[in-house]
Amino acid sequence: MTDSAQPRVFLVDDHELIRSGIRAEIAGSVDIVGEADEVEAAIEMILERTPDVVLLDVHMPDGGGQAVLRAVVEHATTTKFLALSVSDASTDVISVIRAGARGYVTKNISGPDLIDAIYRIAAGDVVFSPRLAGFVLDAFSTGSDDHPLVIADPDLDQLTARERQVLRLIARGYSYKDIAKELTISTKTVESHVSSVLRKLQLSSRYQLSHWASERHLN
Amino acid sequence: MSITTSSHAVVGTPLRPLRRGRDNCILGGVCGGFATRLGIKERNIRVIFALLTLIFGLGILLYMTFWLVLTRSGEEHSIIQQIFQNRREAQLVLVAFIATIVLIITLQTTGTRTSDGFGWPLLLSVFAGVAVWRGASLDERGHLTEFFDTAPFIGGAFSKSRKGLVLRVVVGAGLIFIGLHQLHHIGGFWGSAGSAIIGTAVLVVGVLVLFAPWWLQNVRELTSERRERVRAEERASMVAHLHDSVLQTLTLIERAAANEGDVVRLARNQERELRQWLFSPETVTNASTSFVGLVGAIEHDVENDYGVRVELVTVGDCVPDERVSTLVAAAREAAINAAKWSEATSVSIFTEVEPTTISIFVRDQGVGFDLDAIPADRQGVALSIRQRMTQLGGEAIINTEVGSGTEVQLVMPRSQ
Repeated sequence: MTDSAQPRVFLVDDHELIRSGIRAEIAGSVDIVGEADEVEAAIEMILERTPDVVLLDVHMPDGGGQAVLRAVVEHATTTKFLALSVSDASTDVISVIRAGARGYVTKNISGPDLIDAIYRIAAGDVVFSPRLAGFVLDAFSTGSDDHPLVIADPDLDQLTARERQVLRLIARGYSYKDIAKELTISTKTVESHVSSVLRKLQLSSRYQLSHWASERHLN
Repeated sequence: MSITTSSHAVVGTPLRPLRRGRDNCILGGVCGGFATRLGIKERNIRVIFALLTLIFGLGILLYMTFWLVLTRSGEEHSIIQQIFQNRREAQLVLVAFIATIVLIITLQTTGTRTSDGFGWPLLLSVFAGVAVWRGASLDERGHLTEFFDTAPFIGGAFSKSRKGLVLRVVVGAGLIFIGLHQLHHIGGFWGSAGSAIIGTAVLVVGVLVLFAPWWLQNVRELTSERRERVRAEERASMVAHLHDSVLQTLTLIERAAANEGDVVRLARNQERELRQWLFSPETVTNASTSFVGLVGAIEHDVENDYGVRVELVTVGDCVPDERVSTLVAAAREAAINAAKWSEATSVSIFTEVEPTTISIFVRDQGVGFDLDAIPADRQGVALSIRQRMTQLGGEAIINTEVGSGTEVQLVMPRSQ
């Protein structure tokens, strides 16, 4: 980080209005090192400038945020990605997390909340919005009686009771601090639980993760 | 001295132009046209044509001729003019005409008895029918399709129903049987009937060669027309939705521009609606048959009525019964309470449907209150939430403190 402790941020969004809105809200608090309005330019510039945090639009022409992640995630190891979206199609959100994003927020998030999220991502934390927590709980749900689960790797394919508890509290609108207080654990422990959920989400090969959305409609 | 030219050359009944009728027509409007022109009842004219038909089919022939030659009321050109305006059409119709004539002459010279002279007027009429269809305006075609669709026999035969199929098979098989029977009469299957069959086959092939391109083109036109129509319908439903919801909301936002609260409320409302339409149309249609749909209604109503943002997260879904509806009603009370009293700008609702329980959490980060000193006007609501949950065999836990928000936890065991 060059300028004191301000994280270096790169913006990827194909809508000029959204970019300028975000820029206006976060400009004073972070160091904006560039922006791109298409997948190809984004890939090139992220690799060149290695920002600390990339704010990544989920929906763009030519593959969207996922395409950027696929091309960049292995090469820019110090860069972390925060997915931004207007939509809440659960499959989109889960896929972008599985592709390597470390957090997900909707675009109507308030300025201070977004800045907070960027700092936490830059510090290595995982940012789960209540809605994302709900999606993840759904994705890891134990399944109904009609769809018994085949669990390939219990370490990766199931959430522990504590992780489940933490996710439920996030979904209920609790901040990490509130969660720590509620469960009488430290904030650091809360963070490590969320990180572990993210790891499971990204590494799990669970059949249901790729198909859970369609299965949910069947139930 | 002056010369006066009267603009009304004919005194008495003004002579109406002879046009085929539009409003008083059954098929082509020829009889209707004559009726209008001559001031006679349509029925009389129809009877005359029917009687003329008895004389070697003269009535039908006359009718078809008039159909081709007379201009339809409200249109510019007669069907025959219409045909000759387009070179391709004119060629096609001429070829068809020549083919008909050749067919008639062949039948006459081979001495086939065509029902005592009714044959050639019928064939000519069929030709005229084809010509009419080719030359008719779109409007008239519409009228004709409608006529044939609703006609008791033809419409039935061409419908795709089981009845139509049976009708087609019976009529087709009957005709084939009669045809074979006729051929047999000519003189044994291997006698002159053989050459008659060959002759017929050649005739059919000839007709096919003449008409196949025209027929194929017609079919192609129809399919592309149908595809076009489907696309247009899809577009229309899209446009209708965008118009009904999005455009209306944008107009409302413009008008409410001065009032920030209203603008936010409208935008949120529209966002929620559009998202639902795009991502989960099934909950829109099944709002009453899905637990998530029921809870979504709380989100909608609280945001609309109190201008407070509702952050709704749902995990799992089920088909609601009476108990679930009561649970949702309790949650609604809690959400309205939070929106009304907490002074917070947003309320979080989290629901989870598990195999044995259903839980709903309603949380705000507003002013909170002292549970032991509930104001009199709020006691009733707290009671109504608690009472409902006790009835359901579940429980309601209210966590609150002055200055640190409120959370209402509703947990209900599911009936098995």
